Amino acid sequence: MSLLDISTLAAMFPAISAAQASPEVIDRIPSSYSDFVIPFVAGMVFFLCWVSIGCVRIFMKIGPSDQAKFWKSLVNPVTAAKNVKDLFCDCLFHVKIWKRKPLLGYMHSAIAFGWFMLIVLGHIEVALFLPKHLSPRAGGLFYPIFYRYFVWINPGHETLRGSFFFFLMDFFLLYVLTGIALAVFKRFRSIVLGMKNTTRPSTPDRIALYSLWLIFPLRLLAESFTADLSGGSFLTLGMNHLLHLVFGDSLYFQPFWWAYSICLGVFFAAMPFTRYMHILTEVLWILFRNAGLKPSHPRKGVSEAEIYACSSCGLCLDACPMNVQRKNLRFSSVYFIRFLRRHNERKINAIADKCLMCGKCLALCPVSVDAPALRRAQRRTVNNLLPYDYSYLARTSAPAAAPFLGSAAPATASASGPVEAPSAEKVMYFAGCMSHLTPRIIKAVEGLFKASGTDYVFADRDGGICCGRPLLLAGKTDAAAEVIEANKKMIEEAGCGTLVLSCPICYKVFSEEYSLKGVRVLHYTQYVKELVGSGRLRLRNGGAKYVYHDPCELGRGMGVYSEPREVLGLVSDLVPAGHERKESLCCGGSLGSLTLNSRDRDKITEAAVSDLTVNSPEAIVTACPLCLATFSRKSPVKVRDFSEAVLDNLSA
Amino acid sequence: MKNNVLIAGAGPAGLEASAALQRLGYNVILIERSETIGGHLARWDRLFPDGESASAALDSLIEGIWGVKCFTDTEITSANRLGKSFNVILSNGIIVHADAVLMTTGFDLFEASKKEEYGYGIYDHVITNADLEAFFRNGSDPRINNPSRIGFVHCVGSRDEKAGCRSCSKVCCATAVKQACEMRQAFPNSQVYCFYMDLRLFGRHYEDMYLSAQRDYGVRFIRGRVAEVSENLDGSLMIKAEDTVASAPLKVSLDLLVLMAGMRPSVSGARIGSLLGLQSEDDGYFRVMDGILDAQRSTVPGLFLAGAATGPKTLPETLADARAAAVEIDKYLSVTFPEAKDFKQLMRKGW
Repeated sequence: MSLLDISTLAAMFPAISAAQASPEVIDRIPSSYSDFVIPFVAGMVFFLCWVSIGCVRIFMKIGPSDQAKFWKSLVNPVTAAKNVKDLFCDCLFHVKIWKRKPLLGYMHSAIAFGWFMLIVLGHIEVALFLPKHLSPRAGGLFYPIFYRYFVWINPGHETLRGSFFFFLMDFFLLYVLTGIALAVFKRFRSIVLGMKNTTRPSTPDRIALYSLWLIFPLRLLAESFTADLSGGSFLTLGMNHLLHLVFGDSLYFQPFWWAYSICLGVFFAAMPFTRYMHILTEVLWILFRNAGLKPSHPRKGVSEAEIYACSSCGLCLDACPMNVQRKNLRFSSVYFIRFLRRHNERKINAIADKCLMCGKCLALCPVSVDAPALRRAQRRTVNNLLPYDYSYLARTSAPAAAPFLGSAAPATASASGPVEAPSAEKVMYFAGCMSHLTPRIIKAVEGLFKASGTDYVFADRDGGICCGRPLLLAGKTDAAAEVIEANKKMIEEAGCGTLVLSCPICYKVFSEEYSLKGVRVLHYTQYVKELVGSGRLRLRNGGAKYVYHDPCELGRGMGVYSEPREVLGLVSDLVPAGHERKESLCCGGSLGSLTLNSRDRDKITEAAVSDLTVNSPEAIVTACPLCLATFSRKSPVKVRDFSEAVLDNLSA
Repeated sequence: MKNNVLIAGAGPAGLEASAALQRLGYNVILIERSETIGGHLARWDRLFPDGESASAALDSLIEGIWGVKCFTDTEITSANRLGKSFNVILSNGIIVHADAVLMTTGFDLFEASKKEEYGYGIYDHVITNADLEAFFRNGSDPRINNPSRIGFVHCVGSRDEKAGCRSCSKVCCATAVKQACEMRQAFPNSQVYCFYMDLRLFGRHYEDMYLSAQRDYGVRFIRGRVAEVSENLDGSLMIKAEDTVASAPLKVSLDLLVLMAGMRPSVSGARIGSLLGLQSEDDGYFRVMDGILDAQRSTVPGLFLAGAATGPKTLPETLADARAAAVEIDKYLSVTFPEAKDFKQLMRKGW
């Protein structure tokens, strides 16, 4: 077998149309039907019926506005380009896994991309080498799959481009086989591929798994047995010579093609009931995701595509902070989704309530299955029905707005008149309930406002109402809507151009759910960064060795990673933690979990603290009152808030 | 030959057990981590329920340890088993061949700053029960400035799963009531509030003290936890709480807030415990052989426990526990080292 270089390949392609124009000069001899294709065709037909019905079901459950959004996104060039990119990067190349764990990425992409290429090349071969009178229609469904069985080379008429495809097919078969070999190895020693825990497969999963493992070695055997007749390249021809050496001149190849077909049939028939359904569904989910569709029900419509897009790869197992204790593995997103598929209500609710909502499983998911959103949707089915009474909000709305208007901030007197357009100069500080439980944050933030000469009003000095995020996390959407409405009214009436929050939980909900017109919503780390940038706060480097902890809601939740680091870099010697940015660990104090007990939380906190202190910092600095309170209870080193760390390092 | 008994911790339990074992004819080595003996008792002013002087009580305990070899400012650096005994190396270089070890490592006071919502260490007028005792002893504290409204918060670091403290500390309710009365004595024009979950006053005379606090001192007891504390611009404190009897939220402005910090397992005790192979329960206190019948014996032969090392105790309970441990140790050594028996009997006959 001689390797082709690209220039000869390019020269050959104009010849393709010429070859098809003269049907009598063919380099392959096609034959017709054989019984062994029945298992594959049966499995494939069943699978295609299932998929078609499934697609119709999903689309019927999606509301008309979402449907319109979906179709529009397909023709929108920006989304379309993103779709193509995501389909290749997420489904075939698994770029996200490559970046974190190269060997695992290789395994996934070898199976996905290699198989994809085998299918594509099979179809190209059919299109190129089959004469017109035996079109793919006559060969039916199975021609590209069993090409080597049905189409033999015409001795004396072999072309170089035919050999080129033989080489490509062998190359990608070898590529897939290496992936399969790694997958088999991973079953026994997953840690080598970077996975501490792997998913426990269900019985249908096992059936599909073993048939998937067998498909490619059987394909190799079947193609090798026929390689002297059908043609082949380095792998199959080499194997063929070897087989001739062992078994003599005549090779009986029929059983291997039968076995290959049966394995394919079993795999496709089992697919709808297994995790391998993700192969097709993730395409749909990526289109939905990029169209901006959000699940409204934990199992129907968009969610159905989402839960079937989960490949049970198990990356969320190691990601989940609860899994510092192995007993909590069962609460991981992968099992939550599995039980959603199985309609196991009791287990679904238990798992949905346990989650800390740190969002790490979402951040690391190869296809961005939003398990936290599904859990919220599930919680909504139960908790949104619970009674609540916020009638006092209406009664106290006027006094609630009053305290900050009359508060001690210097320039607030002017705000008592009718309010015009929000002035960007004026800042409203909303501490939120968690900051009120960690008063040193409030003290330090006010110190920073004073040091920078910021004209601010303290919205909830004498107490405010909940920002709504904890209610949303608990699935109490209706209750959340009421407090959001009340807070929104209070903010709009104050007429401040900037809203500064010291709690990432508040920050997320104020940014995402409030739609405040003309009001900039900033986390105080961002605001301090601005103050430093404009020279209103001058800092000095105190030389202390700090480590920064990314709060879940601020980092993964809102993508604020760099601002706090930049400012802390100016005042201290910032050392890295074991896990940072989107990989950072939950502190364990999250409001997200409704049922996790304090002992399990302590274990999570201990794990996070030891991860943060790998480079022996003098203090852990964080920018969330909840993280601060949680770490303060457990940490052997000092725990400081971002505002304290900055306030201590102001230059005179 | 006399048996050596090593006692770790010279608080009330350690002192009482040393005295008892010394009287029984053992060679007692008492070590104390800090520079002074007496433990928490040495920092207290008066004792509930009758207002006895803490220093007088401590003095009489110290009188009893005549003849005991006592090392202060000394810790255990390593310990291992040597036959039936322990080979213990102390930080002052002395090696003790101890036939029995008694752990009287006591408790740590809960760090009130960990309940940050109460503002200890952040606000100017928030103190702990221990700070208040120090004030009673010394008569001055910059944070206590003739307060007219005083609040006591019960259960700070007790019965609080979130703070990692599940158990009740047992003594704080009585201490709070005692201190509330003392504050009224010190500041006759003040108003005192106690915020409690449950009042657990169970001993003899305790109820009288509680009734007297209400009747004679006008202390107001409010059932409900304090949610958060903030500082007013004039430096006074704003307390937000819930009155669960009236089922209503409550706001009070106070001049002084006293946090009743609870008992936590001793950190240095846990360190020694791990050197000696002692087991702890989930709550952090040492495991005993049997909570009812064998409450002074640990799970390690030759290792005994007394006082607050095995859970919160009042002072009389601690002293009784220490005496019980001395009897248990005597029983153990007589069985395990029978050759020392004759000598002991001679000792006890007073020859």
